[in-house]
Amino acid sequence: MSINFKQIEDKLKTEARKLLEEGKVSIVLAYGKGYDEKKPMPYVVRKTSDIENIVFNEYCTANMARYLVRYPRGTKIAIAVKPADSRAVVQLIQEEKVKREDLIVLGIPVYGMKNFKTGETIDSKTTCGIYNPVLYDILLGEEVHGQPVVSPYDVLVDYEKMDKDGRWTFWKKELDRCIRCYACRKACPMCYCDPCFIDQNKPKWGEKSPESQGNLMYHLTRFHHLAGRCIDCGECSRACPVDIPLYLFHKKVAKECEEMFGQAAGMKIEDKPALVNFRVEDSDKILE
Amino acid sequence: MLKKTAIQKISDLAAELLAKGTLIAPVKESAGFNFREISDSGQVDFSFYNTLMSPKSAFFPQTEDFVRYDKNKSVLDAQCVDLNLKPIFLFGVRPCDVKSFEIMDIHFSGTGAVDPYWKKRREATTIFGYAFDLKTPADSADFYSTLNIGAADPEGSDIFMMKKGDGLLLKAITPKGENLLSSLGSLTEASADEIKYFDDTVAAGRSFKTRFTCVDDKVIAKKLEDLFHKTEFWEKISDACLSCGACTFVCPTCYCFDICDETLFAAGVRRRVWDSCMFTDFTMEASGHNPRTKVYQRLRQKICHKYSFHIRKYGVISCVGCGRCTRSCPVNIDIFSIVDQALKE
Amino acid sequence: MEFEPKILGIACNWCTYTGADLAGTTRLQYPQNLRVVRVMCSSRINPSFIFRAFQLGADGVLVGGCHPGDCHYNTGNLYARRRLAVTRKILEFAGIEPGRFRVEWISASEGNKFAEVVREFTEQVKNLGPQTKFKIK
Repeated sequence: MSINFKQIEDKLKTEARKLLEEGKVSIVLAYGKGYDEKKPMPYVVRKTSDIENIVFNEYCTANMARYLVRYPRGTKIAIAVKPADSRAVVQLIQEEKVKREDLIVLGIPVYGMKNFKTGETIDSKTTCGIYNPVLYDILLGEEVHGQPVVSPYDVLVDYEKMDKDGRWTFWKKELDRCIRCYACRKACPMCYCDPCFIDQNKPKWGEKSPESQGNLMYHLTRFHHLAGRCIDCGECSRACPVDIPLYLFHKKVAKECEEMFGQAAGMKIEDKPALVNFRVEDSDKILE
Repeated sequence: MLKKTAIQKISDLAAELLAKGTLIAPVKESAGFNFREISDSGQVDFSFYNTLMSPKSAFFPQTEDFVRYDKNKSVLDAQCVDLNLKPIFLFGVRPCDVKSFEIMDIHFSGTGAVDPYWKKRREATTIFGYAFDLKTPADSADFYSTLNIGAADPEGSDIFMMKKGDGLLLKAITPKGENLLSSLGSLTEASADEIKYFDDTVAAGRSFKTRFTCVDDKVIAKKLEDLFHKTEFWEKISDACLSCGACTFVCPTCYCFDICDETLFAAGVRRRVWDSCMFTDFTMEASGHNPRTKVYQRLRQKICHKYSFHIRKYGVISCVGCGRCTRSCPVNIDIFSIVDQALKE
Repeated sequence: MEFEPKILGIACNWCTYTGADLAGTTRLQYPQNLRVVRVMCSSRINPSFIFRAFQLGADGVLVGGCHPGDCHYNTGNLYARRRLAVTRKILEFAGIEPGRFRVEWISASEGNKFAEVVREFTEQVKNLGPQTKFKIK
C-alpha cells in the first residue's frame, strides 16, 4: 500500500471549498504551488478562487502548525496536518496558544515524505515515527496500518554510546557551524516567543556573533525551552541551511522527559506540558 | 594571455598560490560546498555547481573585529584591529557572484564613505572567476540571465577560468591578473584552438538560459513603488515566509550588519556581525517602537530594496540571480517568482 | 598549586540561604570556593543562568531549595525539580560531567547539612578538575 497523494490533494480541495463556502472558517492553512513541482510552499487559502492552487505531494514537509500563532485569537482556521504536525496542534492547544473550537483539523496520514532540498526520502527515524494524526476532525485519506513501527529514539543509540568527550566534540563541531540565521526557531511550531531570549539585550543571554560561545548558549537554551514540548517533526533540521542535526538533541531531551515524566509531547489535549506541571510524588531520583 | 592546466593538476596550481599568499577556494562540507581558507593544496575541489554561502565573506566576513578594549583601562588604550594581509586568491567564483562584488563596492567604497576593511581585503585579492559548465543545465533556482549576466562572463574577474574537457583554461583579464598568471610556473601556453574555444564559450554563455523574465530596471522599480501600499499583494507573498535570515545570509549582495560590543567581565571587542532585515529586532528602535512588526513588511522591504530602492539610488538591481536564497529557503520562497508576479500585477 | 574550583551557589531565600546563615552563625567551617547568589525561590532559576555560569568560568554549580512540600510558595520547588532535572540531562548530553551540577534540598534549620553538602561538592568538583569545555577563553 502506498499513499495516494493525488487523492489527498483532491480531498483537501473539496474540504477547503466546503468549509470556506459554508463560512465555517476564514482561512485554510494548506500547501500550494511553488516555483517548481518539487518545491511546494505553505499556502494560505482565503478565497475559494485560491483553492485551485492547493497541492499535496511527497515534498510537502512544512509544518503548518507553525503559522497558527500568526493569526489573531478567535480566527476560525482549518489546518492540514500530517502526523507530527497534529501533535504540534495538540501541544499548542495544551499551551493555550490556540483554542480547539477555533480549529478544524484536516488530518493526513502519511509516510515516505521526501526532503525537497535533497530529494531523498526522509528517514522516519529522524522524525516522530507515527503515521496517523493524533487529532483530526476530518481525515483525508485512509489510516495507515501495517507500516513498520519505528521508535523515534532508535536513532539515538550511536550517540548514547559516545563518552562525554565524544559528545562534546560532536556537538561543538556541529554547533560551531551555525550561522545564526535562526531558521530553526522560525520553522519550529513551538517557538513562538516574542522576543526570543537570544534577541534580548538586557539581560544579554548570549553573544550575537556566530561563534562557539553564543551558538552554544542559543542552542542549549533552545533545547531546554523545547524540553517536553518538542513534537519531533524534524523541521528545525530540515530548515537548517548548514544541516546541523538538531533533531538528535531534541530527541534525546524528549526521551529523557518521557522517561522522567511519563508523557510524550502533544499526544493528548488534556495533558499539561511536562515542565509547567508537577506531581508531588515526583522522585528526587531524577536529579541524580 | 591564455594559459592552461589539467584539472587533475589543480593541486599544483593551488600549491603555487598557497606559497604566494592566502588561498580561498570551494571546499566540500557536510551541507555542500563553501569558500574556505585552504591549508592543504589537495583540498580544492572543482566538482561544485555553486557554493552554499556566497563568496562575499571573503571581503565582508560574518564577524569582523574593529576595536579591542578593556573597561578598566583608559579609552586611549583601546586597540584598533589592523588588517595585515598577505595577497589573497579567491578561487572559483561564478560569474554571477563576481558581478555581486561590483554591487557591494557601491556600499563599501563607492559612495564616499569607504570601509577600510572591505577596501583592504578587496585590494589584496585576485579574483579567479570560473565559468558555469554550459553542458549541464542550470539549477532550477538560478535566474542570472534575467539580470543580464552570462554564464561565462569574464568581466570583473582578474583571471577567468573555464573547463575544456579535462583541462582548465585561464585567461588574464586585468593587469593584476596578467602579472600573476605570467608568474605561475605550473601553467602552459594555450593553443590557438583553445583561444578560439575560450572566446566561443564566453559568447555562448551570453545566450545560455536560466529562468528568464524580461526585467527592465526602470519598469520594475516603478512597479514595486506602486505596489508598495498594496498590502494584500505582500500578505499573499509572505504567507509562507518564516522570517528567518537564511536568504539574507547566503545572499551575495546583502550587506546589512550590526555593530555589537561583546564584553566579558571588563575586556571586550567591538565587532561587526551580519544582520538581516528579516529579523524582528532589525528595525527595533531604542524607544521600543518597531516600524516593521509584520512579516509582510519585512519581506516587502527585502524585495523592494533589491529591486526598487536600489535602482532609484544607485542605478542597478541589487541581485545577481545566483538562486542561493531560493535554494536555502526552508519554505521555498522564490524571489524570481515574486518579481515575476509583481510585473504581472 | 592545588586546583581551587570556582563554584556558583544559587540558594533560595527561605530555606537554603537561611540555612547558610545558620551555618555561619553556628561557626561551621566549609570551603570558600562557593559564591552564593540568593534568589527568592529555586523555581526562579532560569536554566540559562547555569549554562552562562559555566561559560563565565564556573567549575561547578550548586542549587539549593526548600524540601519538596516545604516551599514558601507551596509548589515552586516542585516545578524547579522537573526543570533542573532536564537541565542536568542537557548538560550531560552536551558532554559536561554531570557531577558539576547538583541540586540539594536544604531547609533553614539544616546549617549542618549545608556545610556538609558544600564540603562534599567542592571535593567532587576538585576531583573533576577545571571545567574547560563551556568556558569562554
